[in-house]
Amino acid sequence: MANLDRGTYPVPSAFRLSTGSFHKLSAILTLVALAIAFSFGNDAFLTVNNGLTVLLQTSVIGLLGIGMTMVIITGGIDLSVGSVLALSGVVTGLSIKAGVPTAPAMALGIVAGATCGLVNGFVVTKMRITPFVATLGMMLIARGVALQLTGAAPISRLGEAFGTLGNGSLFRIVEKTGGIFPKVVFPGIPYPAILLAVVAIAAAYLLNRRQVGRHIYATGSNEEAARLSGVLVDRTKIFAYTLSGALAGLAGNVLMSRLVTVQPNEGVMYELDAIAAAVIGGASLMGGVGNISGTMIGAFIIGVLRNGLNMAGVSAFIQQIVIGVIVILAVYVDQIRNRR
Amino acid sequence: MSLQSEMLPLVQMTDIEKHFGGIRAVNGVSLDLFAGEVVGVLGHNGAGKSCLMRILSGAMLANEGTIKVNGEVAEIQNPHDARDFGIETIYQTLALADHLNAPANLFLGRELKTWYGDLDDRKMMRETERVLRKLNPNFKNLDDPVSKLSGGQRQVIAIARAIYFNVKILIMDEPTAALGPSETAMVGNLIKQLRTEGIGILLVSHDMHDVFELCDRVVVMNKGRNVGSHRIEDVTKDDVLSLIIKGELPDDWVPRGREMLQ
Repeated sequence: MANLDRGTYPVPSAFRLSTGSFHKLSAILTLVALAIAFSFGNDAFLTVNNGLTVLLQTSVIGLLGIGMTMVIITGGIDLSVGSVLALSGVVTGLSIKAGVPTAPAMALGIVAGATCGLVNGFVVTKMRITPFVATLGMMLIARGVALQLTGAAPISRLGEAFGTLGNGSLFRIVEKTGGIFPKVVFPGIPYPAILLAVVAIAAAYLLNRRQVGRHIYATGSNEEAARLSGVLVDRTKIFAYTLSGALAGLAGNVLMSRLVTVQPNEGVMYELDAIAAAVIGGASLMGGVGNISGTMIGAFIIGVLRNGLNMAGVSAFIQQIVIGVIVILAVYVDQIRNRR
Repeated sequence: MSLQSEMLPLVQMTDIEKHFGGIRAVNGVSLDLFAGEVVGVLGHNGAGKSCLMRILSGAMLANEGTIKVNGEVAEIQNPHDARDFGIETIYQTLALADHLNAPANLFLGRELKTWYGDLDDRKMMRETERVLRKLNPNFKNLDDPVSKLSGGQRQVIAIARAIYFNVKILIMDEPTAALGPSETAMVGNLIKQLRTEGIGILLVSHDMHDVFELCDRVVVMNKGRNVGSHRIEDVTKDDVLSLIIKGELPDDWVPRGREMLQ
């Protein structure tokens, strides 16, 4: 037994490097290494402004990644989040056009997302369709509905309030200069970033401190064991899918608000970024493993890569290649570690 | 213990039927279990014994039949319901969530919570330590995922989970199949102790030695039927084997005392 060398006194878990924390550490190191490398390449990379830009750009993938992480931990997958994101935005946009005030309209959009997630959950648990197929179906359905409702045309002129969530910021400091453009001393922390932080903390709390979180892990770890232990497995899964749908709805509203236009064909392939973020962060598609902080690091690795490669003038095609390689490497490193 | 509770079975399963398509896995089986009694449930693979146990533990729904606990009809729709009736099961597979640690497994499905509804991990850890050390004083690594523990340690967790929560009826499915000698002895002692506490135990086993060592009575299943329920003193191992294999006792069988057998 390898554990004997620890002696009789239990070593506090904080000082032992578990597989999970090893993964997280290597992910953080990757993130830091990326930041250092990019800052050498471009002076503008390591500035407050650019940092906030990365925050803003990462928030949508981050929100999707949080819901995705929950679903992945149950042993499932949610391929529909990119489409649900678009549908939610469309529901919000159409509601505003129908005269609903902005905030309730956004709430309607999120409810629409949650409903899609709920349907996913029912199809997976009650109809016993595998998550891959069930959410693939929803991916097509939600996108189709979004395109049908709008005739594939963007919805614009949604009012100034619609743009606040995506473009506003907290602690923005502006100095009047007398000219046309005021001088921005501090651009402020973008609302989407604040939203991401709040949602991430809430989700981590849910997973680690609440019963439903424990049951999400148990379901993904050994579904049959969880069921035999009295865990209501179906309800747990439905909860995870619904939450993923709702967060896709929230992400949709953030994204469309940033664009100040509802685009029914936004968010294509976003589900893959969300999955990549979760996997880079240490989540296992086999279920039972994953956490929010890891996914956040994963999302930021993708965000920093995109941003840094953009600034370095690397094409979007090359970016895809790089992110693809990183996903595979992240999982490979994890496997080597687990095999030992 | 009052006279009535001595007479009233703890569990009465009556005319239980379970079929899968055309196959009758359990075919009109009745089974009683009294408090403080250890009943061995025997039979070939596919004789229907596991199926019957799964029905009692709520893991499977019967097509027909009734289950009474303490004389009252018990609607058992899922494992959650079974637990509410004090029915606990130790599965052969142990049914542990590998990625979770010992306390999370021990309390899975009935986690302790603080007054504001959070998981009370500290209390669960304390309780787990107390219970596990009782079964195995050397138990360590409560913080590790149970996948990293030895077979014996995992078994201890599965046992602790079944007996910690006010168990009245304990189903043990091949509890010693994966254990070494000392752990097997521990399980044997535990069964004897639980029996003195008035707990009814159903012991599914292939190990004839264990059965004759621990059980008060054997129930033998063959092709989905209950082909015999006998006090252990009345039968020999050969009698039981005959029941298991042929579904009937030897032609020359007469109830015999246990001392005749030795």
